[in-house]
Amino acid sequence: MRYVKWTLLALIALSVIGFFHYTLPQHDIVRVVNTYQERQDLKDWTRIFWSSPDDQSTGLINRDVQFIQAVKANGKPAVYRNEDTGWSWPPYFKFDTANLQTQAEDNKSTAENPKWVSVTHYGWRNELISIFPNAISIKPVAGPDVTIIPWFNIVFFVILALILLMIRRMWLQFRERSIDPVLEDMGEAWDGVEDRAGQAADEVRGFWGKLKRWLGTWKGKPRV
Amino acid sequence: MIAFLRLAVFGFIAMSVMYVALSIYSRSVRREELEKEWDADHPDGGDAEARDAHIEAGMQAYQGSLRRKLIWLVYVIPTIVVLVLLYLTNYY
Repeated sequence: MRYVKWTLLALIALSVIGFFHYTLPQHDIVRVVNTYQERQDLKDWTRIFWSSPDDQSTGLINRDVQFIQAVKANGKPAVYRNEDTGWSWPPYFKFDTANLQTQAEDNKSTAENPKWVSVTHYGWRNELISIFPNAISIKPVAGPDVTIIPWFNIVFFVILALILLMIRRMWLQFRERSIDPVLEDMGEAWDGVEDRAGQAADEVRGFWGKLKRWLGTWKGKPRV
Repeated sequence: MIAFLRLAVFGFIAMSVMYVALSIYSRSVRREELEKEWDADHPDGGDAEARDAHIEAGMQAYQGSLRRKLIWLVYVIPTIVVLVLLYLTNYY
């Protein structure tokens, strides 16, 4: 039972962490090398890893998606999709896909003469199921070693903690003022019920007792 | 457009739930403060009717207080946050 509990808790924790890791913005220092556009088939479960830029796109089984190809300082490739999130989830309210693609084009560079940029993105890259993080913005930076402080995430988690603490306080207040008094009343009422039940039980015992005694009077005399 | 309406409707519902919950909480805290205030002034308990009157007067004052009006920020702040995010993502 303890293993079941811990497995469940671990699964919940993993889902929560995964959710935030997927949804919150992250920064990569990269060098943009190319951009391209490719038709994507969207009619399987990996659809959830692609955006719905507008209302029609939810019904489409395939459409063109723009991509930004980049290389990290360690030489590893990083490929981003560039899609509007529009008004839907996650709430980045990104509508400037075409502008971002232009900026990416403008910042293309070669290994010999690199131009480093910080790409803000959310999402995961997975080669097996062909999913890509979605680029949100591109900013030129001084070099491959600049430190970027994730201010947005810091503020986000502080506010989230405050909201959770507030909800806890609200719940405690509600319990203290609204539930506990009712429970006390119910406890008193229950005591009353128990008392009455006790009396009734005595009465019943009395009644059955009397009945049994009365029935006993019909029994024949024990044979000898 | 449907996505925008969905955001607006569900956002409004979420903010309204938060507004009602915060209103109840704030009112409850205020009432508790008033009760404790009275009990501190009257260690013997005082007159029950006067105690009720004191609390009712305090709650009347709360109706017009700034604190109660500040709960409307539950609607204002998320809307501003959305507008700021919209600006930062697309125009900054």
